Amino acid sequence: MRRIYQIDGDETECWLSHDGNRFILNTPDGAVPCQLDPTGAPGGHVLRARGRVQDVRLAVGPDATFVHMNGRTYAIGRIDPAERLAGRDGVAADDRIVAPMPGVVVSVNAKPGDHVKEGQRLLVIESMKLETSLTAPRDGVVAEIPFAEGDSFGLKATLALLAPEEE
Amino acid sequence: MGISKLLVANRGEIAARVLRTARARGLATAVVRHRLEQEGPAHLIADEVVTIDGPTPVAAYLDIPQIVEVAKKIGADAVHPGYGFLSENAGFVAALEKAGVTFVGPTSEVIDLMGDKIRARAFVEERGFPVAPSAIEDDDPASFVERSRAVGYPLLIKPSAGGGGKGMRVVREDGALESEIETARREGERYFGDGRLFVERYIERPRHIEVQVMGDGQGNVVHFWERECSIQRRFQKIIEETPSPALTPEQRDEICETAAGIARAVNYRGAGTVEFIYAQDGSFYFLEMNTRLQVEHPVTEMVTGYDLVAEQLRIAAGEGLSAAQTDIPQSGHSIELRICAEDATEDFRPAIGDILLLDEPQGEGVRVDSGILDGGKVTTDFDPMLSKLIVHGPDRTQAIARARQAVRNYVILGVTTNTGYLDAILAHPDFASGNVSTGFLAEQAEALTAPGEDVTELLMAVAALSDERLVSDVMQIPEMHRKMGGWRN
Repeated sequence: MRRIYQIDGDETECWLSHDGNRFILNTPDGAVPCQLDPTGAPGGHVLRARGRVQDVRLAVGPDATFVHMNGRTYAIGRIDPAERLAGRDGVAADDRIVAPMPGVVVSVNAKPGDHVKEGQRLLVIESMKLETSLTAPRDGVVAEIPFAEGDSFGLKATLALLAPEEE
Repeated sequence: MGISKLLVANRGEIAARVLRTARARGLATAVVRHRLEQEGPAHLIADEVVTIDGPTPVAAYLDIPQIVEVAKKIGADAVHPGYGFLSENAGFVAALEKAGVTFVGPTSEVIDLMGDKIRARAFVEERGFPVAPSAIEDDDPASFVERSRAVGYPLLIKPSAGGGGKGMRVVREDGALESEIETARREGERYFGDGRLFVERYIERPRHIEVQVMGDGQGNVVHFWERECSIQRRFQKIIEETPSPALTPEQRDEICETAAGIARAVNYRGAGTVEFIYAQDGSFYFLEMNTRLQVEHPVTEMVTGYDLVAEQLRIAAGEGLSAAQTDIPQSGHSIELRICAEDATEDFRPAIGDILLLDEPQGEGVRVDSGILDGGKVTTDFDPMLSKLIVHGPDRTQAIARARQAVRNYVILGVTTNTGYLDAILAHPDFASGNVSTGFLAEQAEALTAPGEDVTELLMAVAALSDERLVSDVMQIPEMHRKMGGWRN
């Protein structure tokens, strides 16, 4: 019963089990017995884990679970490893720059074949009246930038693709 | 003149906020709504919701003939424009006038004057109010260097045709002036095809301080004190407060009286805001006048006890101001936080999503002006501001404490918001001491977005245990897991 969880861009694979008495979350760092009980508040729960008793508010979305805890809000992306294996084209997550929202390309600052450094600007987009720079997630070579200046794109469109890393 | 039916030509939190006051005053109310727009709080308050259409939702709200037609069709005798959209559009005011509908706001002449930044600045300067010292090359190219020198250092050279910071040069000493002018000219030619320049005094670490004014159009103008709005990202305010922690009582009177004087000079009608750049040495300069209600007007309402929309509606109905200057207190301290759908750790990238759970903070001194409903969708059609959290406390320290508690209890799940970032600003020692400038967020970017305690494991436990499919799969095969044994303690 595995899941890959994505928090702040970092992925962790874990699996959930039950020993007859309680649930155990098995993470790369070890096994964590844990328990989650609802309270009266909308989305309200109490989490017991690692000796902590923690009030949380939560909402389960289609791809992510949202948690409000200690005055902070977190989004935890959920990926079913089986679905990822059956994934569409096998492109690794950090090869692809995906549109965070629909918008328009303001400028293109790199072209296929360019060697780019992590953090280097690849293109500038405008969405919701705001300009945003999209940067290379790692050092690499630009494989494809499918949109030109002035083009509109939809949510989750691929805006740039880096060539796969050679192992 | 009287008003019996008000159309609100806006949306989101400001439409809801205006409608509440209009209803409380016994007016019939209506609001426009784009065909594809999510239902919001305003649509639940208004007596009537009128559908408008356009190539994009924003275009519909900017469509003057369509909105004037709506006002006529439903028999509205006044239109409140809110902020943004048509609120500072002289053509809209003229079109309403022609249709015999009252515009809740100033005259089209004043909107025109204040909308032209160069004319407005000249108008204010001619009447003896402070503007930043400057020199325009075009006025007399031969004496430009001499006149620049007279502006005083540090000064900022800007291309006349410029924008976006390109070609701007800061000059701190006389020796560098002429060479920097030549560099700026070359940059202006390269970027804008135009080498003409102007210079103005460069204000180091400025603060943004503005004053709420209100006039009846009959020569009576009062101010409702100042607001400080130095906490800005991408030139947009996200935290505003009043009183400003920077001002002494004497400076406060001076800046507020200056603002009222500027409003008096145009015989101002309605609610307006005079914005100033405030230098660290206590000098201040006119920046611009906004001829509408501002987003941040609630902090003024919290310390003065006046409902500014009610004042706007009184003035539009010809009833005049309800307050004399001496009646307007500045009591306690108020802070507003703009709750925006954006990711502060990703350069304030706007976020979209479904609002899966919404629980707004409540309590003494807490006000929420919201434009969203539980179950709604946040789309890219409009501005990322979802709502405003406004708090009031007896003093600044208590107001900050109340703001922190409220923003930490503001639950919005399903779309990324800036609540955690706002809390980090409130918790910053420089904010607590009031030692900020408009550059504060950029200077402190790293500290303000530093990751907190690592709670990855707890979050994964929550995500796993609330995953119904995962839990049911696990419970269907307990035997196998028991046999694995190794996980038992």
